[in-house]
Amino acid sequence: MPSFQGQRVAVIAVFSLVLMWLDDEYSWLDPVRYSVGYLVAPAQKTAAVPLAIAEWMGESATLRRELLKENKILSARNLILERKAQRMASLEAENMSLRELLSASDQVDDRVLVTSVTAVDPDPYTQQIIIDKGGSEGVFVGQAVLDAHGLLGQVIDVLPFSARVLMIADSNHALPVQVNRNGVRAIATGTGALNELELIYVPNTADIKVGDILVSSGLGGRYPKGYPVATVTVVENEPGKSFANVKAEPTAKLDRSRHLLLVYTDKAERVSPNELWRGGQ
Amino acid sequence: MKLEAVVYILMMLFLAFMLEHLPMPELISWFQPAWVMLIVTVMVLFAPSAFGLWLAIPLGLMLDAEHGTPLGLHIILVALHIYLLQLLYRRIYLFNVAQQSAVLFLMIMAEQIIHYWAVAVLYEEATPVMLFAPAITTAILWPWLYVVGYRSLKRLEM
Repeated sequence: MPSFQGQRVAVIAVFSLVLMWLDDEYSWLDPVRYSVGYLVAPAQKTAAVPLAIAEWMGESATLRRELLKENKILSARNLILERKAQRMASLEAENMSLRELLSASDQVDDRVLVTSVTAVDPDPYTQQIIIDKGGSEGVFVGQAVLDAHGLLGQVIDVLPFSARVLMIADSNHALPVQVNRNGVRAIATGTGALNELELIYVPNTADIKVGDILVSSGLGGRYPKGYPVATVTVVENEPGKSFANVKAEPTAKLDRSRHLLLVYTDKAERVSPNELWRGGQ
Repeated sequence: MKLEAVVYILMMLFLAFMLEHLPMPELISWFQPAWVMLIVTVMVLFAPSAFGLWLAIPLGLMLDAEHGTPLGLHIILVALHIYLLQLLYRRIYLFNVAQQSAVLFLMIMAEQIIHYWAVAVLYEEATPVMLFAPAITTAILWPWLYVVGYRSLKRLEM
């Protein structure tokens, strides 16, 4: 063993502790992580090859009959959706003009990018997944991720060709929601279980019922407004406690969805109190 | 160092990072071995003159990027692993493979516990679950890695 090896280990340990602290508190080290991502990317891509082969085999081995059947179902669905979309256009125009009357800001349709899940983090302490789009496609930290059924989570870590998504069911995650029916606001936190969210600080008198749909309220400034998040499953009012016990089930299929959408929203600009005051006049 | 050995090592590291990333069903994922640590063990045991503590920084950073842990956590773990290997080098080198496996088990176990502590401190919430699982599989895999290391590195007289 080289001399002073113990001291060297101590130096490295102190160095990494400082690194960990910096990484946890500030974002200066993000470029380092990003460039190290280039080193890891080839191995990650190779690891996904068997999966891609299996998927390709599954696709090419599908029977013609099944494909035709699927095609029929899809075109039927498409017809229904198109009919809805036709009405949507006129409704959107109507909504726009009504909003103009109210002099409210326009709600622009969000741009999305389709991505697929390449891995689920085996770490039992967190509920995270890894997707196959990264910084090179313009993915950014804090970006909202949806699946076909609702809000799934947000990007927390971007590498060049992949990104890490924290799901809404993670116990470190919370997002502002509102009840679709009446607009009551609440905060939905993850519980660590994939099929359960908890609404915290809901007063006992709040009008929330089982079956209510919770949508993102956009108040945190991170998630876009109006995407479905969860359905309320349990409402318990415990006498003597100031807050109701409300549980909800995420509408997104957190454990099943393979194809996800990354949403690009034009960041809502912060309105300074000064402007707000002038606007009121 | 011979070019052949460098190629072997790069290939082994590539494979290790690939296996580290391999998606696994939930039940088995508890038992995912510490592949990179295995390769580090091989490198430090069979080519001690070339590989030392400096390995900890690049490999640690790459592991942190791979696992999304705070940058630096795996640097400590790899550095500790290498230091312990160097400290016990003479004994480990003379041990038979089963004893080496046992030492490796204890080392990986200790690193798992440190990893768990760091997670608990940083996220203020963690339950220790099956910390021993990766250590078991890593120890079971060691004899094969020993053969691979012996064949690829020791034989080249590095």
